[in-house]
Amino acid sequence: MSTAEELASRGGPGEFLRRRTGLVLPLLMLLVGVVLAVGTITMDVPENVAWPGPRLFPTVIAIACFVFAVLMAVDVLRHPEPERVAAHAEDASSDAADADAADASDVAEETRVRSNRPAVLALVGTLVAFIVVLDPLGWLLSGSLLFWGVARALGSRRPLFDAFLSIAVSSIVQLAFSAGLGLNLPPGVLAGVF
Amino acid sequence: MDSLANLGDGFLTVLTPMNMLWVLVGALLGTAVGVLPGLGSAMAVALLLPVTFSLDPIGAFIMFAGVLFGGLFGDSISGILMNTPGNSTAIAGTIEGHKMARTGRAAQALATSAIAAFIGGILSSVLVVFFAPSLADLATLFGPEEYLALAVFAFVAISAVVAESLVRGLTALVIGLAIALVGVDGMSGAARFTGGQPELFDGINIVVITVGLLALGEVIAVAARRGTRQDTELIPSGGRLWLSREEFRLALPAWLRGTSIGVPFGIIPVGGSEVPTFLAYGTERRLASRKPGSMFGKGAIQGVAGPEAAGNATAGTAMGALLALGLPTSATAAVMLAAFRQYGLQPGPLLFERASELVWALLASFFIGMVVLLILNLPFAPLWAKLLKLPRHYLYAGITVFAMLGVYATSSKLLDLVLVLAIGLLGFAMRRYGLPVAPVLIGVILGPLAETEFRRAMAVSEGDPTVLVSSPIAATLYAVLALGVGAFLIQRRSAALAKAA
Repeated sequence: MSTAEELASRGGPGEFLRRRTGLVLPLLMLLVGVVLAVGTITMDVPENVAWPGPRLFPTVIAIACFVFAVLMAVDVLRHPEPERVAAHAEDASSDAADADAADASDVAEETRVRSNRPAVLALVGTLVAFIVVLDPLGWLLSGSLLFWGVARALGSRRPLFDAFLSIAVSSIVQLAFSAGLGLNLPPGVLAGVF
Repeated sequence: MDSLANLGDGFLTVLTPMNMLWVLVGALLGTAVGVLPGLGSAMAVALLLPVTFSLDPIGAFIMFAGVLFGGLFGDSISGILMNTPGNSTAIAGTIEGHKMARTGRAAQALATSAIAAFIGGILSSVLVVFFAPSLADLATLFGPEEYLALAVFAFVAISAVVAESLVRGLTALVIGLAIALVGVDGMSGAARFTGGQPELFDGINIVVITVGLLALGEVIAVAARRGTRQDTELIPSGGRLWLSREEFRLALPAWLRGTSIGVPFGIIPVGGSEVPTFLAYGTERRLASRKPGSMFGKGAIQGVAGPEAAGNATAGTAMGALLALGLPTSATAAVMLAAFRQYGLQPGPLLFERASELVWALLASFFIGMVVLLILNLPFAPLWAKLLKLPRHYLYAGITVFAMLGVYATSSKLLDLVLVLAIGLLGFAMRRYGLPVAPVLIGVILGPLAETEFRRAMAVSEGDPTVLVSSPIAATLYAVLALGVGAFLIQRRSAALAKAA
């Protein structure tokens, strides 16, 4: 709990936090600790369980979460990342990736290790979309979407070619693993076709 | 001589056309995944776990043997040619290997590394064949206290050694222990942290965790780095692939020294091959500096030979420790343990009795796999390097598709896909802020074991905690651990001070 308060009290805006984005890790630890603590307290323990029961380890680990949340927070606060941002590739090797990265960097907030946030968001968005449409659409279409989306998020700039490639990859997987090895893949809207 | 007879039977099992095909497939897949930057053996095995469902256990494990060592052969290729090691185990060999490639000796560096991987792997497998059965006999003496001590040893050793700071290593370990708590507690039947979801009663599947942390985390990290300048120039490798007599004379002792450095580290749980490979690199460097004309810094062949042999030797004996003790000493071994469990097998002393056919077939396939890999890697290393010329976005898109396929195929649960995405984001955050991934896996795998053994010991002793240190084996383990970690931390501190001064 101390980290959140520390953050608020010390929280000189902008630059101070920007060099300490690593604070998400102690925050995460704190969250895990709280979840474990609440779960341990509300746990349904069967009667007649001898000590040490099912609560002991969760308690120990919850405490460890709080301890390491504080230690990590101190570590991150005392060792901020360098002020300067990693050099940007103005004229780097892969041309397609670049053109996009250049305009992306104007929009995105700069971090110490340069993180390409639009690319990460596009990638995670693709994965979420895949999970949502997998059951209704079936493997073939959602698998194609996944390949296409990830390739695009990672810098491919040939949407039409990618679309054909994605469908090919997804079909090969469907044939090899569903028909060949007998894995259970959802057929979705194309149920009757295969 | 029992070992030899058993090994002979193992060879007979493996040397059928179908099983040889699995070795070959495994070696090809393992090398291919190993060549890709950031992906290594552990991830390759995790991705293949669901795919091998329909195989019989022997076929599956024969394939895993190929994948496991294939990953180790492959990870040095991208390191030598592009200066982007395929895996952390290849970093030490890359330092001199890439310099060799820059001075026009790429082919020789690749050959040195392939032969090194072969020698390290073969010699450590021989040791495993002869000593694993006796190690297993020793382990039958182990009770709950000893197993708890082994688990604690693994926790502390891996957290102390792998991370740049003890706090970060232990933080990663705690994350793993917390993840492992989800599910129904086996001893009391209480549901823990499942949120009432029956889908979580069995806990979070290890495939979900490894694929999320190792594969998806890396793909997200690749996306985050997109657009930053990277030194990804691929150096073409041409010319003669064999070593000259002079090069051979330099490399041979380094191969053997590297192997002897790597072998003991397979049994100590320090998270795999990072430590032995760097030790081997340091040793070779020091030995070379005693003689005039050291090539270190300009592409020394010993600098490739030593670390690569050490890395594979560690992987070999780590498999021995896993089979005989049931104790994973590296991330890769942890994933292999998950593979055994998936087939209802528990590595450890009893495995040699209950599934001796499988164990010996697995050991025999180590040897066959090593020969196959040498053939695949020595003449064809430049071909493997072509894989690096494929556009990166297609390679990683393919990896993502296989990762999601594998996770879904294991359970057919959408919840697992959500979990793998969440763990992938966690893996990315850990990479971004310098937390090691290996302690998480060790925590997930050994956490439940530690808890069960602790509670068993307590139940037997009726709550008397001194039982934990009263057995001589357990007490020795704790003492060795305390001494080892103490010495390691002091050495690191003095190294840090020397650097600062």
